[in-house]
Amino acid sequence: MCSENAVKKAIHTFVLLAALLPLAALPGGEPRFYPDDPLLVEPPPRDAGKILGRKFSDYFDFLYSSFGNPAGADPKAPVPRAQTVNTLDEAMDSAWWQRRHYYRPMSIEELVRGPGGDRPPSAAGKWTVTASKNEGVTPGFTIIDATGEKYALKFDPIGHPEMASAPDVLVGRFFHALGYNVPDNYIVELDPDRLEIRKGAKVKDELGKEREMNSRDITEILMKVPQDAQGRYRALASRYIKGEWAGPFRYWGTRRDDPNDIVPHEHRRDLRGYSVACAWLGHDDSRSVNTIDFVVEENGRRFVKHYLIDFGSTLGSGTQKANSPRSGFEYLWEFKPAVIQFFTFGLAVPKWAKAHYPDFPSIGRFEHEKFDALGWKAEYPNPAFSNRLPDDGFWMAKQVMAFTDDQIRAIVKTGQYSDPEAEAWLIECLIKRRDKIGRAFFAGVLPLDRFSIIDGRLAFEHLSAKHGFTAEPQYQVEWAVFDNTANTETPLAGAAGLQVPNSRAEFLKARIRGGEAKKFVDVYLRLRGGRREVVGIERHW
Amino acid sequence: MSPLIFLVLLLLCLSGPLRSQVPTRAAGIEAEREKKAAVLEPDEPTKAEQVLTRIKDDKIVERIQAGYNGIRGKLGGLATGGGFALGPEYAREDLAGGKLHLRTAAAISFRNFQRYDLELKAPETRTRPVFFQGYAVRHFYPSLQYYGQGPESEKDGRSNFLYEDLAIDGTVGVAAGKGLRLAASGGYLKVHAGRGRDQRFASIDENFGGGVTPGLDAQPDFARLGGYVELDRTDNRFGPRGGTYLLANFNHLMDRGRGQYSFERLDLEGQQYIPFFNQRRVIALRGRTNLTYTRDGRQVPFYLQPVLGGSDDLRGFRPFRFYGDQSMVMNAEYRWEVFSGLDMALFFDAGKVARRRADLDFSNLETAAGIGWRWNARNSVFLRMDVGFSHEGFQVWLKFNNIFAPKLIHSSSSQSVQ
Repeated sequence: MCSENAVKKAIHTFVLLAALLPLAALPGGEPRFYPDDPLLVEPPPRDAGKILGRKFSDYFDFLYSSFGNPAGADPKAPVPRAQTVNTLDEAMDSAWWQRRHYYRPMSIEELVRGPGGDRPPSAAGKWTVTASKNEGVTPGFTIIDATGEKYALKFDPIGHPEMASAPDVLVGRFFHALGYNVPDNYIVELDPDRLEIRKGAKVKDELGKEREMNSRDITEILMKVPQDAQGRYRALASRYIKGEWAGPFRYWGTRRDDPNDIVPHEHRRDLRGYSVACAWLGHDDSRSVNTIDFVVEENGRRFVKHYLIDFGSTLGSGTQKANSPRSGFEYLWEFKPAVIQFFTFGLAVPKWAKAHYPDFPSIGRFEHEKFDALGWKAEYPNPAFSNRLPDDGFWMAKQVMAFTDDQIRAIVKTGQYSDPEAEAWLIECLIKRRDKIGRAFFAGVLPLDRFSIIDGRLAFEHLSAKHGFTAEPQYQVEWAVFDNTANTETPLAGAAGLQVPNSRAEFLKARIRGGEAKKFVDVYLRLRGGRREVVGIERHW
Repeated sequence: MSPLIFLVLLLLCLSGPLRSQVPTRAAGIEAEREKKAAVLEPDEPTKAEQVLTRIKDDKIVERIQAGYNGIRGKLGGLATGGGFALGPEYAREDLAGGKLHLRTAAAISFRNFQRYDLELKAPETRTRPVFFQGYAVRHFYPSLQYYGQGPESEKDGRSNFLYEDLAIDGTVGVAAGKGLRLAASGGYLKVHAGRGRDQRFASIDENFGGGVTPGLDAQPDFARLGGYVELDRTDNRFGPRGGTYLLANFNHLMDRGRGQYSFERLDLEGQQYIPFFNQRRVIALRGRTNLTYTRDGRQVPFYLQPVLGGSDDLRGFRPFRFYGDQSMVMNAEYRWEVFSGLDMALFFDAGKVARRRADLDFSNLETAAGIGWRWNARNSVFLRMDVGFSHEGFQVWLKFNNIFAPKLIHSSSSQSVQ
């Protein structure tokens, strides 16, 4: 039998241990920087197991996003910073996004080539139609060319030739240069005589019933699409993405069957920043159904790769008609503006209703005067877009600003607009919207980037000044020794300016201010192999 | 050292290394992936979403609308006052390789209003601008409203009458392009008008005798010859925000009996949609006049007279409130977009009926004003509610169509019952 003292002692021991145990789990003990920081590329993906190919409902997406809280966010809690960034505040190369034009300037040839650019449907031989779609908003075919490559052919709406096909090609090139995975799209001239129907090819009628396809189906589709003066048909040919179709991704949560998908999408930097690119290119149709996941095999690994698709409803196009003037300014359903309109009898005219749109059937409604870079909205709320913080916006804005006027012109040319005035208007809009994006998002933070150490001095670019939006400010720099393990800092007396202090401490921290006091950047330097290197960037606003 | 103190020290010493188990950033990411890999599950959408996906993919709505092998249910479509109506419809648009469209329907309402119609048409195609149409309709409406002749008719004079007809018509026309259609048509109409069956109101013969109500005592058959010119330059037939619509429809109706009721009728209509603020605001104007011409003391039977009052013209008045040989109505609407699926409208209606064309002027117009809501999907108005006010009170209209939607222009049947 235990004595009373022994029991008491055991209880005391238990209570003390229970009280101390949480210490082991306290945060803050982790180093801020690991030896492999900054990580530019995510570790190679784990091999994906069984990935479910599934569809989402666009009605559900609209309703849940408009009236629900898909990401389960606490509206009172501050939005956390993006999680898929390295210590330099950059997204890492991953199955979602790759460093491209801003990080390694692409030549005009590379920009124009886009994600492929060298595999249009073969001009030799027949195009075998394997399926057709004669219903829905965009009729089209699936074809296999003489080389065995598979393409989806889509057409422009009658009354708006070029309006959907041109952006599908050129916007894809912009998104590719901005780092995203997109399909390889081409504008082609369709000769109906080149088409042959594969035996057993199926077509779905307007009621979704499948039946064997015949030549009349092709005729009917071609009757619904525009012909040019020479009677030719212009089509968009989108090369099929290689891999196993896995359905679209959402802008919230993660794929529950993908081991590599560990960060909720609403917290992904690449998806938060995507909102800025969509604003630039007028992609209000940037919803889940216009994305797609494929299980691909690269470098011996099988993993889920995430693509953006269907850009036919961008740059003022609504695919089948000109986009609504509301596009980009208000959601399809938005309580406050609706209430205002309801009770004011429409006398409170929204600014977007006063926008001027030149009459270009090949473009639809696209403009730059009223364009609001910060306030731009997709068709309905998108959790990743709604979570965008100033550093997320800055991250994409600097990539958008990386396109020169000439590069924009060259990419727009890939849309093959037949009306030079329409093309010129589009270029003007893209240049002016680009600049609005730069001005707006660079102002959200202290816009310093491309940090390095040159001749013992901390060097960087002030992007607003570089692009001529503002003058470069005077900088104040506070230096400190940074303890990477304890995550503490000790001011370095006497150190000031951009000259890196002569210290043997492994980590130094420079707090750079310039202009508004609340906007500053912390730069962390590490001593490795006798040299200082930039290992961390943290923006504050 | 007591065992307790030893344990505490050991725990504190271990806590540092425990907290730094991950030696690299990459290892941290790998660890997270490993954790996720242990709890993978199929990424299936919720049941509710799966149902919505199936509804769209399997085209459930379209199939319901299309029916089974062309057979489907149809709601509404009868004359105002008939109450809720439904019935079967059979439609095929694939006859003769899609060149021929067939539609036939039967509808009955809770107040026993009935309509049966059959339509066979060969619409114009890209290569053939000529169109043909055959249309037969039978109505049985036991209680249409009637208030007497002319603008002086009293609201308190409400009565009802039975209206039955059978109309068979043929039309041939050409779609000349750019919204212009020209057509010639002819048909035959058999009518019976009699005592109203709605016991709540007086029958027409109790309030108005045959002497003051032409056509009440006897209803001859009519043969009709006519033609129309229609120009539709609106930007969207099902919910226009800009453009012009014009219609001139002339018909000669020949009394196949004693000729007492032969007459000509000219219907003119113009609609103009003036958009501003990027089409988010629209002024919609509509003017319509229905003129009849008689000679040698002939009369226009009351059931074929122009009528005003109701959801489509004078919205502050009861349906069929005014009957007369001549009519004119003007409507003006200011519409504004509330959000992408709803427009609202303030409207003003003015019109009158008259015995003589010379009396069709802008004096003593009946007026109504009100507010309306227009719900749209895919740029088409599918539901509207209008609340109209006039000196006779107010009316609330709920309709599954757009205001000013063109009516049937190829039927000999009465305007009132369409």
